[in-house]
Amino acid sequence: MMTQTLHASIPQEPPRLTGMSDAVFAEVAARLAEVVAGASAPPIELTAMPLTSEDRADLEQRLGRGEVFATIESAGRSEVWETQFSGVWFVRHFGENDRTASECIEFGAAPAILFSHRADMAAAARRLATALQPANAHETTDH
Amino acid sequence: MPQEPKLAPTLGELLQERGVSRRAFLKYASYLSAVMALPAGSATALAEGLANARRQSVIWLSFQECTGCTESLTRSFSPTLESLIFDLISLDYHHTLQAASGEAAEKAREAAMAENKGKYVVVVDGAVPTKDGGLYSTIAGVSNLDMLKATAKDALAVIAVGTCAAFGGIPKARPNPTGAAAIDEIITDKPIINIPGCPPIPEAMAGVVSYLVSFGKLPELDHLRRPKAFFGETIHDRCYRRPFYERGLFAEGFDDAGARQGWCLYKVGCKGPVTYNACATLKWNGGVSFPIQSGHGCLGCSEPDFWDQGGFYRPLSTNLREMGPALAGAALAGAALGAGAAWASRRHQESYQRDQSAAEGDKK
Amino acid sequence: MTLLEFARGPALQVAMIIFVLGATWRFFGALLLPWRLVPAEPRKGAPSPIAAAFKGVVVKMWPHKPFQKAGMFTFVNGYILHFGLAIVVFLFAPHILFIKGLTGLSWPALPSNLVYTVGVITMASLVAGLVHRLRSPVLRLISRFDDYLSWLLTLLPVLTGLLAAAHLGARYETLLAVHILSICAFLIWFPFGKLMHAFMFVFSRAMTGVRMGQRGAEL
Repeated sequence: MMTQTLHASIPQEPPRLTGMSDAVFAEVAARLAEVVAGASAPPIELTAMPLTSEDRADLEQRLGRGEVFATIESAGRSEVWETQFSGVWFVRHFGENDRTASECIEFGAAPAILFSHRADMAAAARRLATALQPANAHETTDH
Repeated sequence: MPQEPKLAPTLGELLQERGVSRRAFLKYASYLSAVMALPAGSATALAEGLANARRQSVIWLSFQECTGCTESLTRSFSPTLESLIFDLISLDYHHTLQAASGEAAEKAREAAMAENKGKYVVVVDGAVPTKDGGLYSTIAGVSNLDMLKATAKDALAVIAVGTCAAFGGIPKARPNPTGAAAIDEIITDKPIINIPGCPPIPEAMAGVVSYLVSFGKLPELDHLRRPKAFFGETIHDRCYRRPFYERGLFAEGFDDAGARQGWCLYKVGCKGPVTYNACATLKWNGGVSFPIQSGHGCLGCSEPDFWDQGGFYRPLSTNLREMGPALAGAALAGAALGAGAAWASRRHQESYQRDQSAAEGDKK
Repeated sequence: MTLLEFARGPALQVAMIIFVLGATWRFFGALLLPWRLVPAEPRKGAPSPIAAAFKGVVVKMWPHKPFQKAGMFTFVNGYILHFGLAIVVFLFAPHILFIKGLTGLSWPALPSNLVYTVGVITMASLVAGLVHRLRSPVLRLISRFDDYLSWLLTLLPVLTGLLAAAHLGARYETLLAVHILSICAFLIWFPFGKLMHAFMFVFSRAMTGVRMGQRGAEL
């Protein structure tokens, strides 16, 4: 109980909407329009932006959830989902203790992190080839 | 990174053997580019750069220090995303972290230097005593001063980690009995990056090393050789309590009503306005908090001579020197001078008047 | 030693010593002179010297009717400038901390944003004062180096203070150091030029009041 009271009294960022979520939302619209027109649009990096927790919640809520949700287990957990706007993807990487390490909004058919890298595919092909030899059948379970 | 004669595996290949995919590189790169505020879309380039780079040989020298920097860097990385930094480097010599000791440890350092001549990175934590030939700190009978010079001679770059290495820090605080000096006061012919802080933010260290490994060049530095990505803005600029400063709402002590309401800590000595660091944005212990959020003003630990700025609890706008007696003396002296001047003037007037009346008397 | 350390340390120390020494010197040097009144008998019905002195101080706070049209700008602008300076110097939280550090005295501050606004108004008033001085042939004729230097050394702390508050032009620690150094220059010049009127104006007005009163002249 005591620690709870103490925690409650530690001042945190003032909870409020700063208007930043409106700005990011407008930028999302502009970048998706570019992608639709055939160009490519760089991701919007949210991590270092001065967004309050309310701003973040507001942005996430307005972007909503679409049809795709994926979890990636690579150097910790990552979550990727398509927003209710097709081609607008939310990518969130977690660090230690399930803390958000970085998050960004990507544009296009799918975010880069979902694609398999050529180097990984080549390594996988090598492993498969090895696995096909009967003596090495256990190899595939190694990784 | 320049090509090596016998090609060592790239980091991508090396980690692949351990089942680490390129996704991990991309994830790490997006994390770093976010933390370092690299241009949008540079995560992919950073990831490719890292994957195609060779493992960076690092020689870590610990001099006049408290090991707090090493503790900060290692403790903060649990085995997930942030720990990838230790896969990117080959830590060939580090007092605290290496298994070897004594002669064997020194041999490892010499071997790494010979193998990677001109390509290894020297990381230094701690200041270097220079007084009396540097005898105040020695390792295996070699003074820190000599070891630094010898090790830095064939290095690619030197990274001074922590305020002691970057600016002299606490060993250099007045009266500096050992003649402690910063690394860039001793090494003048190598690229040097300062990552100050007491201790420095772990992400800054990881970011700089990754940048160096991936792009093969130094990140942009400020006039104190600090990477601008982490030391580009003051604590005050990014402090969530800043609105209270503008509104003139200040805590007067650490337990008053203002402190409890999270008001600005300027009056209790916060050095945030003149301290360049990323504490207010990256925070500490995995983003949990930073000193101001925990209720204490910024000490200014990433600035030169932060120990000698008149006191941690002395507000920034106050004078540094004790003036009371000097000013009292000045007031007394001024009053005496004034009285003397007035007296001389009176004398002059009186004698003038005497002369005048005497002259008038003569006329009569 | 960084520029800020120099400014907060030795520069401020030396400037404060010169300021206190010079100001007490001039203050006592002037006040201990013979209070020479008019040698003649006071006119009949002349007010007492104390009443005359008091009147001298108060009456001069507003222009006489015949001069109101010509002198109004000087008075109004002068009030804006002086009240502005007083607010900026004595009601800005960091300044109060500085004074508290020196004297132990402190009082509540105004919100910083409000003080910045007053600072801008004060600076505009200083500039307007100079323009007025330069445009008036008479004022230009009676202006000396002292007037311009005193003006400049008053303007600089206001200007550098605003720049520091706005983080404009350089890094904050440099701006803060320059701001403190500009105050040092102001303090060093203060006792030796017209800035000294801040301490002396009451006495000079009072003396004028007494002399005029003795002669039976209406102030």
